[in-house]
Parts: sequence; structure tokens; C-alpha cells
Amino acid sequence: MKNKFKFTWRIWLLIVLLALSFLAIFSSTGLTQSGVVIDSIDLNSSLLDQGMTKGEIITSIDGLTVDSIESFSLILSQKYLTGKKVKTTFVTDKNEYIIFSSEVPKITVKELSKTNIQLGLDLAGGARAMVKAENHSLNQEELNDLVEITRNRLNAFGLTDLKVLSVSDLSGNNFMLIEIAGSTPRDLKKLLSEQGKFEARIGNETVFLGGDRDVASVGRDAQNSRIESCNPAQDGTYYCNFQFSITLSPEAAQRHADITDKLSVNVTEQGNYLSEKLDLVLDGNLVDSLLISEGLKGRVTTQISISGSGSGTSEEEAYNTAKAEMKQMQTVLMTGSLPFKLEIVKLDTISPILGEGFVKIILIAGLAAILAVALIIFVRYRSPKAAIALLVTTISEVIIILGAAALIRWNLDLPGIAGILATIGTGIDDLIIIMDESTTETRISLKQRLKRAFAIIMGAYATSMVALFPLFMAGAGLLKGFAVTTMLGITIGVLITRPAFSDIIKQFRK
Amino acid sequence: MEQTKKHWHDRTYKKLLIIPAALILFSIIYLFFFSSANGALFYKDISLTGGTSVTIYDKISVEDAEFYFQDKLEDINIREVFDITTQEQKALIIETTTEGELAKQIIEDFIGYDLVEGENSDFQFTGSSLSESFYKQLLIAILIAFIFMAIVVFILFRSFVPSMAVIISAFADILMTLVLVDIVGIKMSTAGIIAFLMLIGYSVDTDIMLTTRILKRTEGTLNQRFYGALKTGLTMTLTSFFAMSIALVIVSSFSITLTQIFTILVIGLGFDILNTWITNVSILKWYAIKKRK
Repeated sequence: MKNKFKFTWRIWLLIVLLALSFLAIFSSTGLTQSGVVIDSIDLNSSLLDQGMTKGEIITSIDGLTVDSIESFSLILSQKYLTGKKVKTTFVTDKNEYIIFSSEVPKITVKELSKTNIQLGLDLAGGARAMVKAENHSLNQEELNDLVEITRNRLNAFGLTDLKVLSVSDLSGNNFMLIEIAGSTPRDLKKLLSEQGKFEARIGNETVFLGGDRDVASVGRDAQNSRIESCNPAQDGTYYCNFQFSITLSPEAAQRHADITDKLSVNVTEQGNYLSEKLDLVLDGNLVDSLLISEGLKGRVTTQISISGSGSGTSEEEAYNTAKAEMKQMQTVLMTGSLPFKLEIVKLDTISPILGEGFVKIILIAGLAAILAVALIIFVRYRSPKAAIALLVTTISEVIIILGAAALIRWNLDLPGIAGILATIGTGIDDLIIIMDESTTETRISLKQRLKRAFAIIMGAYATSMVALFPLFMAGAGLLKGFAVTTMLGITIGVLITRPAFSDIIKQFRK
Repeated sequence: MEQTKKHWHDRTYKKLLIIPAALILFSIIYLFFFSSANGALFYKDISLTGGTSVTIYDKISVEDAEFYFQDKLEDINIREVFDITTQEQKALIIETTTEGELAKQIIEDFIGYDLVEGENSDFQFTGSSLSESFYKQLLIAILIAFIFMAIVVFILFRSFVPSMAVIISAFADILMTLVLVDIVGIKMSTAGIIAFLMLIGYSVDTDIMLTTRILKRTEGTLNQRFYGALKTGLTMTLTSFFAMSIALVIVSSFSITLTQIFTILVIGLGFDILNTWITNVSILKWYAIKKRK
């Protein structure tokens, strides 16, 4: 026992990987820099036009240091108290942006993260939806189209932190999976399930459809889109009108000219209008009917104004509805309609409220479990050294798994955490096998004995690995997190931490 | 003492097989009647039947909610979530098969304010067609995992009886655990599959250790090798058992998913002691003694 602790290459490998894992887990910017990270920028904001992007770190505003969300909102709220147009300078880690505005810039920020570990939706919050076509089995090509259109639509709606992908399951069903991190858009259901078939008609003839073939551009800035007026209705509710302009493609404009040319003119007190109205139809519902002024008859015009309204029990509600309806229509006009009627088969929204406390509880549970195991080991082997070696090895294993997860940017969700726990469990089993094999009194060398331990361990490893494969597909991959972290964990275990443990144990036995 | 113990086992090991055999038989009969009565191998929660789970971030008593909703919402299951350190209630979770919008309306009537997704509440909806296919897939996944495991075991030991002994004890673990889960009345979710897959892993760990020690070693007598394997194996299973039990107590206030996984594992590890040290040991001993003759 007197001889010095020998660091074998396996132990060194463990130490080096531990160090690398710490580097991977802890974000260097998070630890050294102060500031707040930009989470979202409103589509209408001029900051977006200047090239500000999500993920940049705001370090100061007008020369005042920003080191927390509180200081960020404090600085901004004090600046815009008066409602006068003021100049604001944002300094980020990449650039400097200057805006002149009378209202608070519409950007949201979050604290700089100290780690690179990304939590999955069920811990960090967000929304997840699985969509399939109603009464129709999607083939891969159709699914790819659907994914493309949906992604454009959600982007156009202003959602950026999202994943849209096609998934299939063991029964051969194809789905579109949408995951939005951090937020739950209120109209998600509507946005996803509506086919979004927009049609502008005069009489029975179609003038133009939503989508970039007929609609060249959609006005969304303050000049080209607005909520016009809000008024009380007779039944005590309120309604607000919205209006925005769009630019038609030359073909669609020509069609408009050809159709209006055939119409007659009605002379009314309010002015002279054509005999038919322009009907705006969204998913089979008439949204608005617009009078066409006499001057447009037979003219090739590319500028068209689209209007509609939203109602609510209060003026504020009506305003918000109108705004949402307008946004929805703009989105549909830009992205076109989906080729199928869709069905949402799964829709989950998860608040981060529980997730925050949860990480804490997981850590407590994990630590308590490992300590309990160390205690049993101490009692069974009467060796504090062995118990400590087991503790160190197990905790290292978890740290290296987390490091690898941070490195490959794997989102750690609940099934993933269950996977880490599974790894700890099999890891401890393996360590016990190593301990017992090394103590059996036989005539063969210690080296041989440890080799035998690893024969058992590799056998158990192989069975665990193959048993996890079906999980990649089952349940449309929603349990993939478990399979991935467990496979990652037990592989790291048998290749790195458990061999290092065996080398540590060897020294105690000498 | 040691000597008499071994003698005892030499005489009775074949008879001991009656215990697992009887339990397996009982389990199969039980599952047969259970599935013909319920149309499935276990009670399903809404992730497998389809339905809505509403989480309300407010302090609402479970009893009050149950009393109010019992004849208004279909097939309800109400739970609370609380912080383990402060014991403070953080949320109420209502699961129902009632259609989402209608359920929302009924719940809003009870609590007296509007539920806004992502702000004061969360909704998780699973369509019934999807959940039906989830259920089938989970069974298929467990079946495939089991077959893969069996193939690897055969490759490892390359002899029929010992491999079958491992496979039978893993099968018995799953079977008995499933029956107890049914008897206790646990409603299984998609996370349940994770627990059963983990169980296959844990179960096979000890069985492989045992079989390797018995078949591939020559030191000591057969009984000495069995006894050595028993010491190692019990340490393995008991550490897992205690670790899981402790984790279960801590997470039970918080996560339904993990609570279910740990509950199934604790049950399964208990049965694994029986199946490794009676089922597997007896078959293996029988085989080893016969082969020696």
C-alpha cells in the first residue's frame, strides 16, 4: 500500500476527457462576458433591417453597461417614458446599431447561458406538434413539400427558433414534427392546421391565389400595413379594421384587368363602383368583400389593397384579433396554401415553469442515488477507497456524457435524463463486477482477472446496445433521447471510465 | 453452515423451479384474462388512449377538483405537482379523454379564469389514432429489443440451454412486472416502454455475469462459483434497487414520466432477484451437473 499512485494511460485519458468535457459544458462567453442574448427581434423592427440577428450579445445601450435582463429593461423603459422620438445605440459583441424611434424597440432578450447544455422542450418549455394529412397517407415527397411550406409559414409568422422535420414510425406512418423552443405561439393550432387557401374572386372568376406565383410581395411595414379604425358594434362588442397592400405578379395583374374590363359601372352616392365586388376567401370563408372603384376597370394594376376585420369584447381584444388575423392572412398570401387538409395528431405546450425546479430535483435525486450506492459499496467491501473510486468514476461518467451532449448539441430532454440514470445503473453494475473479479482469489494474475471482468461487461454492453435500437423508430422518435443518451453513456462507460476504474482498483490490490 | 446450505440447495434446486414456473403460469393466465377484459395488456394513460392533459399553474386542491369534475369530464385522472424542498404546490394536472376545447371550457368554469397556453397553463393533446399506433409500436419495440437481446445472448454463450435460461429469466422479469403493474393499477404511458427496456438491460446484466462465472470458469467447485456469483449479483441488484427507490421518492412529487419509469424498475428489480437466483440458477445448475456426468 505504500507505493505511490500510478497514473496509467487509461487514468490519464479519463482526466483529459473530464477536462475537455468541462470545456464543452461551460460556455466561455457565458463565463467571461456580461450582457444579454437577443432571443427574438420583431419582423417590423428596423434593427432587423440593419442586420441584427438572434443570438448576438448586447453589451451596452447608449454607453450604459447591460449585464442582466433587469438592467436591459430598466435602461430602455426610462428612455421611452416620454414617447418622443429618441436615438438609441445598441452595442453587441458583433456590431453597433443605431435606431431612432418613439417606442420601445421590439426585441426580447434572455440571460447569457453559463453552460452549453441545451435542454429539451419538456424541460426548457416550448411547443411541439405532430401533423399528418387528413384521410391521406403522405409520401416522402409530399411530406418534404409540406415541411418546406410550413417552415416558410412559421418563419413568415415571426417564429425563428423552430425545428420542422419529417418523421416516420415503426408502422410506416409519416408525420411532420414541429418543435418551437421557448415559446408557445397563441395561434399555433390555427397556423398549423389551416390549409391556408387564399383566393381573391370577382364573381365566379379567380383573380389571384395566395403564394409567390400570383403575389410578388406583401406589405408588412408600418406604411403598407395597419389597423385602421376600431369601433363599437351594435351588440356592444368591438371591431377593428385592418388593411395592407400587396403587389401582384404581372400575370395576376393582367387577369385582374381582363376580368374588370367586362364589368359595368354602378353610380352611387358614395362614388362610382364596378358591378361586382372583389371577394377575399380564406379556407372557404369570405373574409371581406371590397368595392372596386371605377378607375380600376380594365387597368393592369399591380398594387392591391387587402382588408378585413377582427372583433372582440373589448377594444383591446378586437385590436389584437385584427392584428392576428392580418398576420395570418399576410402569412398565407406570402407562402401559399398547403396541398392537403391537415390533422394535428399531437399538440403539446410546455411552460418552463416546472422545468427550472426540475433540473434541481434531478440533480438531488441523482446525487442521493449515487451516495446511497457508495454507502452500500463501503459496507460491502469495507473499503473507503473503493467507495470513493466508485463515486469519482460514476460522477466522471455523467460529466463526460454531459460534455459529449454539449459538444454534439444534443437536446437533453426527460427521456434523455432517464438514459443518463440508466447509464449510472449499468455503470455501477459493471464496477461491482470489476471489484469482485479483482478480489476473487485464484491462481491467475490480476490482469487476467480484470480481463475476465471485461468479458462479462462487454457481453452485457452488447445486449443493452441492440435492445435500444427499436427506440429510434418507435413512437415517431419521441423517445429517441433515451436511446441516444444511453448508447452514448454506456459506450463512454465501457471504453473510458470503467477501464480507468479497473486501473485504479489494481493499485489498491497491489 | 456453508456446507449445509449448499447441500440444501443441491437437493432442492430443481424443486425451487416450481415457484417461478407457477408464477409464470399465473402471469400468463392473468394477462390472458386481463387483456380480454380490457382489450390491452395494461391500463393505458392518455398518451396511449388519446386525450388531453391540462397543467394549471395554481394552487388547487386535488380533492376539490376531483369532486367537481367527476361527472363533468370523462375518465379523469388528477394529480398535483409540488416542490420537494418547500412542499409547496406548483401545479395541478388534469388528464381526461374529453375533447380538448370542451375540457378547457369546463375547467375554466371551475377555476373562474381563462386558461392561456404557455402562461398559466399547458395543454398536451394526443389524438386517438396516433396513440393507438403508439401502443402497437411500443409492443413491437419491446419485442424487437427482446429478440435482439436473445440473439446476442446466443452468440455470447453458443449453447442452447444456458442461453435459454438467460432469455427465460428476462422474459419472466418482464411478465411478472407487467402483471404487478396491472394489479396495482398503474396506467402506463409511452415512458413505460423505457422502463421495460431498461429492465431487459438490468436483468440480463446479472444473468450474463452468472452464466459466464459458471460456464467459462474452472476454479473452485460449482457451488463455490454459484455462491461467488450470488454475492456479486445481489450487490449489483441491490445497489440498483436502492438507487432507484431513492430516486423514485425524490422525483415522485415532480415528474410523472420519471416516477413511472422508476416504479416499474423497482418492481422489476425485485422480480429479477427471484428470476436470476432461482429461475436462471436452477436451470444452469441442472445443465452444468448433467453435462459433467
